[in-house]
Amino acid sequence: MKQFKEISDKNPFKIPENYFEVVNRKIIASTMGFSSEQEKTGLYRKLRPYLAVAASVIVLIILSYTAIHIFSSGYDKSALPEITLNEFSDKYLNDIDNLTLEENAGIIEPDMAHIEFSSSDIIDYLVLENIDVNEIYERL
Amino acid sequence: MENSKPDKSILELLETDVNKGFRIIVEKYSSKLYWHIRRLVILHEDADDALQNTFINAWKNIKKFRNESSMYTWLYAIATNESLAIINKRTRNSAVSLDDLGSFIANSHEGSTWFDGDEVQTKLQNAILQLPDKQRIVFNLKYFDDMPYEEMSKVLDTSVGALKASYHHAVKKIENIISNG
Repeated sequence: MKQFKEISDKNPFKIPENYFEVVNRKIIASTMGFSSEQEKTGLYRKLRPYLAVAASVIVLIILSYTAIHIFSSGYDKSALPEITLNEFSDKYLNDIDNLTLEENAGIIEPDMAHIEFSSSDIIDYLVLENIDVNEIYERL
Repeated sequence: MENSKPDKSILELLETDVNKGFRIIVEKYSSKLYWHIRRLVILHEDADDALQNTFINAWKNIKKFRNESSMYTWLYAIATNESLAIINKRTRNSAVSLDDLGSFIANSHEGSTWFDGDEVQTKLQNAILQLPDKQRIVFNLKYFDDMPYEEMSKVLDTSVGALKASYHHAVKKIENIISNG
């Protein structure tokens, strides 16, 4: 062991000049900087789940509003084009089959008791229908 | 002088002003820790990395440090682990063995810049390098740092009896190597 003591008095390992002053400054600077980064990261990590929930809620609200807006505008009467009565009858009634209208509407039975026809009315009707009046006289 | 502050007062300062307290710790222990690391990893560049990593790890865990062990042994434990990490990484990545100091230094990119030992000192360092890693640590802590076995037990998490036996065997091995070399 005495031999060891004699040998180990000299340190064979060398270091750069002023090494400990430089490295101490470096260590203090890096650890203080690491602390503030860690605090920022720590704060962000703590808030991240809440931020995720808040973002999801906002997206849901936006989607819901958009969906409601789209569906409700489909039944908006004000969205229908305006059209006048004359335009309606010209445009639509011309295409409608009168016979179909009559069939659907049903036969209207007038109250015959209240209707009075004059002789001339009857003759006019017969003439319009191309019925020979003389044939009727002969039958009478 | 701030460096002469005992650990107890540093612990009290850490409670009130952690930045100032940590600065004192760095100034007080950086030299001791560096030489402990350097004797294990040999190269200055590796020792420089390990020293900075040691203090960064210490800073990260400074709030968890409770007076279960002294600041001194706590820092030595971190430094030892950082040194072993570098040695293991070097062993995995390099074909150059640490067994022969001369060739190891010659093959490193820092070369002999930061090693200025004579023949006898080189012989001793070579002999120490023949020891298994943990035994080398025990020898260095006892022989160069004169660390009590009770504190060494906390640093290495090994019983005092095992450490005494390990050191005794280490000395015998080194004596044989030097006398036969």
